[in-house]
Amino acid sequence: METRPLGATEHESTVMTFGTIALNWLEQEGANQMVEHVLDYGVNHFDVAPTYGDAELKLGPKLRQYRDDVFLGCKTQERDYDGARRKLDLSLNRMGIEKIDLYQVHGLEYESELEEITAEDGALAAFRDAKEEGLVDHIGLTSHGDPDLIKAAIERIDDLETVMFPLNPVVAAKDDAEHDYEGVLELAEANDVGTLGIKAFAKGPWPPESERYEEDRPFANWYEPVARPDEIRERFDFAAARGLTSVVSPGDPKLVSMVLDAADRSDGMDEATQRSVVEAARHDDSPVPEQLHH
Amino acid sequence: MGVPETVRAALADRPVQGRVCLEAGAGVGNATAGLLEAGARRVYAVTDAADHAAAVRRRCGEDDRLEVIRADLRATPLRPDSVDLVTAHGLCNLLGPAALEAVAAELARVAAPGSHLVVDDYAPLPDDAAVRRLFAVENAASELADGRPALTFYPPALLRRVFGGHGWTFDRERTLLDPVPWTESHLSAHARTASEAAGRLREELATPLEREAERVAADVGAASAGRMYSLAFGRAE
Repeated sequence: METRPLGATEHESTVMTFGTIALNWLEQEGANQMVEHVLDYGVNHFDVAPTYGDAELKLGPKLRQYRDDVFLGCKTQERDYDGARRKLDLSLNRMGIEKIDLYQVHGLEYESELEEITAEDGALAAFRDAKEEGLVDHIGLTSHGDPDLIKAAIERIDDLETVMFPLNPVVAAKDDAEHDYEGVLELAEANDVGTLGIKAFAKGPWPPESERYEEDRPFANWYEPVARPDEIRERFDFAAARGLTSVVSPGDPKLVSMVLDAADRSDGMDEATQRSVVEAARHDDSPVPEQLHH
Repeated sequence: MGVPETVRAALADRPVQGRVCLEAGAGVGNATAGLLEAGARRVYAVTDAADHAAAVRRRCGEDDRLEVIRADLRATPLRPDSVDLVTAHGLCNLLGPAALEAVAAELARVAAPGSHLVVDDYAPLPDDAAVRRLFAVENAASELADGRPALTFYPPALLRRVFGGHGWTFDRERTLLDPVPWTESHLSAHARTASEAAGRLREELATPLEREAERVAADVGAASAGRMYSLAFGRAE
């Protein structure tokens, strides 16, 4: 599988990152098989979090077996020093490993949180101390919030080495600041910060509960995903062609095989095709008056 | 509503900054929005359709560099040599051969020496493209009602010759969309255009054409087919 340099980390990440939340929906034996399956394709970048049910526990056995083959990203939603440190130790213990390659501030959403994590007694201070101790190698951040906030974090946090954020044609088709994740991508690239794309396979929000109960949804994703092999390939190729370091696989185990195949076969997407994909998504919000033209 | 990537890609290598620009056939103002974004000194958005003029005003009207002009593109109120850059974004396919020739002459009249022209349009669709069935109904209704086609897809080489015949020197061609995504919103707009034309016919013709337009649009759903290209030309100083 194609690899790309992950910012300044000196790690070459595969163009697909395994989103291990998929393991949460499987029994241990199935989880083991899934990790073997992913590794067979050569995927070398995994991403996990303590908030993904028991994904950390289910990942543990195979992670320990193949520890040297996996660049592991983990994250914490704690914003203060003590909380972050506690959560880091918990994650290390649950997975039964010595070190996390990439520890990320998880789900940054508010300006005030950026203040908190960068404060003297903030989470980042704990990350840095953990780096000194050899428990963590690199520092990252994840967010599906305001692009301007992510940009501010890139500008402010000098030792930030990766960012994880949404990127897909629906987002790319929107032109407002609220959706300017491509601006995040540009700024990250300019600062040699690695970029990990989430929600590459999101089609749109689930229909409201009044139409379909949550327990009746066919996929364990936060959003309704695209689910046909051709759509998965198109979405993967688009996200990879936009310039992300790596595209994170979606949270439902039923989709992982298709994404592996797409990543394995990915050979780029020319600009006219990228525009075609964006243009198709742009009309999801039908303009008034309706248009004959693109 | 943002600027489409098609417009950005077409204008990316053109000198828009500080220029007087004309969007010929403004539609909903896609190219107008792109020209304003790219720093045009002034944009004349010319259209003969009242709803389009209103849409462009709603979209970009707060920008004092914009002037929306309701006029026939074959005879605009613009002075000779008054424009530095002309865009025809998705215009030519709405013009039959006679209108195309007349519009090309008018655009050449208003273009200053050293000016630029960008023509973005659709190549003829492949024979097996399902969406052609909808365009066929649209053209049939339009021919019967108005004596001219609703849509004519010109090969890029043909438009090069047409505009070349009016003193423009060809500069480059690039692909804007491949394939072209004909979304449900496009198809319903085309179905409505077909129904409007059919509505100008006597009932025994109108009803089956209207039904056929609806049926085909629903049947085709969303489809991707064909190519959208961009041609750029320059005028001698």
